[in-house]
Amino acid sequence: MSWGVVAVALLTSLSTAASLFMVAAGLTLIFGAMRVINLAHGSLYMYGAFIAATIVGSATGDTFWYALALAPLAVVVLGTLLEVGLMRRVYRADHLVQLLATYGVLLILGDLALQFWGASPLSVSSPRVLSGSLAFQHFTFPAYELFLTGTGVLVGLALWFLLARTSLGWKVRASVEDAELLAVRGTNVKLLYTVVFAIGAFLAGLGGALITPLQGVDTGLGSSIIVAAFVVAVIGGLGSIAGAALGAGIIAVFQMAGALWLPAWEPTSLYVAMIVVLAIKPWGLLGVRDR
Amino acid sequence: MSLPESRERGATSAGAGDRGGSAGGGAAGVPGGAGRPSVVMVSVGRSSRLLGTALLVVALLVAGSVLGVANVEILLDALQFTVFAMATNILIGYGGLISFGQAIFYGAGAYTIALTWYHFRLDFWYGFVAAPFVGAAMALVVGLIVLRTRGLYFALLTLAFAQLLYTIALQQIGLTNGSTGIFGSMVPSWMEDPRHAFYFSLGITVLALSALWAVVHSPFGLTLRAIRENRERAESLGVNVFRHQLLAYVIAGFFCALAGTLFVVYDSASYPSLLDWITSGFPVFMVVIGGMSLFYGPALGALVYTVAYTLISRVTSEWELIFGIVLVVVALLAPQGLAGLMVGDQRGPPLAIARRWMSGSLAWARGHQRPWARRRGPW
Repeated sequence: MSWGVVAVALLTSLSTAASLFMVAAGLTLIFGAMRVINLAHGSLYMYGAFIAATIVGSATGDTFWYALALAPLAVVVLGTLLEVGLMRRVYRADHLVQLLATYGVLLILGDLALQFWGASPLSVSSPRVLSGSLAFQHFTFPAYELFLTGTGVLVGLALWFLLARTSLGWKVRASVEDAELLAVRGTNVKLLYTVVFAIGAFLAGLGGALITPLQGVDTGLGSSIIVAAFVVAVIGGLGSIAGAALGAGIIAVFQMAGALWLPAWEPTSLYVAMIVVLAIKPWGLLGVRDR
Repeated sequence: MSLPESRERGATSAGAGDRGGSAGGGAAGVPGGAGRPSVVMVSVGRSSRLLGTALLVVALLVAGSVLGVANVEILLDALQFTVFAMATNILIGYGGLISFGQAIFYGAGAYTIALTWYHFRLDFWYGFVAAPFVGAAMALVVGLIVLRTRGLYFALLTLAFAQLLYTIALQQIGLTNGSTGIFGSMVPSWMEDPRHAFYFSLGITVLALSALWAVVHSPFGLTLRAIRENRERAESLGVNVFRHQLLAYVIAGFFCALAGTLFVVYDSASYPSLLDWITSGFPVFMVVIGGMSLFYGPALGALVYTVAYTLISRVTSEWELIFGIVLVVVALLAPQGLAGLMVGDQRGPPLAIARRWMSGSLAWARGHQRPWARRRGPW
């Protein structure tokens, strides 16, 4: 098996991992700041995909870029409503109660999506610029997969910049250390939490919008991505953005290896990766011991 | 099964009449975490407990013979969920271990019967007897790995194991018949009558709940609760925390697999979705809806869920929407579950609840734990 085949397979799994990274990064950002488990995060991803598919389908021409810009913003609105109406009321509750509430939201959003968009999957073709592929020697690398992988890297860098280099970032980090002291210092922590949740929702919406050219959009998308996103976030260590990136990379390699050498077992690679990592490092690769 | 025999079985158990769980204290239903108020024991006399249980069993036997077949099937469904939820509560309520992967053992129980029947045409009873031990053995192996982690990591690692088995059941078509699952007359012919299946399931359920009651009220069960309340203190007293939690996990695995066999009694089938994370979520949500502060809280949750599901599905197809709204409302307004409401929750009257919801302070009102304490995140 030549390196080219491996490289093409790796690109394919890296591109889905890039979308997965965006969802997992939002999940881990929200968990890191608010200690809340949001099972409905996958539903935000699904809404990003549905809204993007609707925008693309509503007009002729190359509407993909509009969809890519608008769908995440629409999901931000949805996420903000969710935070104000429900999430901020369960931040201090037990994890079990959080699971219950957000599972409820997952069911509600899933059912509403079924009402709006129906059960048959929507499909989106990739934008004209990216519909081709790049040939290197005699292997072809699909352009959209390259674009998606690159976008994932850019989003990761932007998140790192946001958290490490901006005042919003240091407030988020400070709220993790001591929210009370931050409030005393004059920061509106409630608003800060809403903003963090909205950023997480944006990432989920973006990930959803970006995946549309690669797979059909249906109502099963939300519950299938959430488990994978948790796996990625947990492998890296919950609360760590760098961990989410690392986790997504590891998943991509595992899936590539599975697809190439053990196709029958490829779907299990995600869980095997998580079990192996947590058996060795119970708090994830970059996670810290909780409690 | 004759009526007097069952009554005697009921009398030896103390399944449903027990109020000896933890009541009061407000936070007794939330496991884990230090600094929660200690559990207040409200005990009802032994004789009235036995009488209550016997009456309930007799009532169910009567219900099984007078209700229409469709309603008996609802109760049959509720019984297998009861065992599933009560077994899971050993971990969640008593051990403070939020397992989100009990479908592993539930599915394994169902598949043990289905696979032995499908591949070897073995009689139902071989699978039925073997299944709980298969579940326990799997719990031992899985537990050795998952119990190294704690809290959320534990929940998500158990979830990963369940998903792993789910994908295997889905992919290995030669072994499991893939997504179609295995259907057929794998139960004895007399059990195909829902009424007989109900009597059988009721007997097994009473036995299972009696055993679980004994476990919970044994020194082992008390130690398990002590670990939940304060792990470090239990450790300092010389308790081997890992070994106790592993045993709890094995016991839960045993009874979850038993619940899986009762699913086969109910449905004569086994399919991959019995192993997925939605199935793992069922007992967790039943435990929370019913309330883990009473011994029979999860049973209540199972009954309410099954009956509500069937009745609502008959009128509307919007079951998921309604159930989702109910879950959100329960989480916000009655996080102690139905049992919490019954034994006098700390929540105020509805108006006070509404006011607190408006101010977003419902969960803060639990006090006694600074919300921002023990938070650290790696950036």
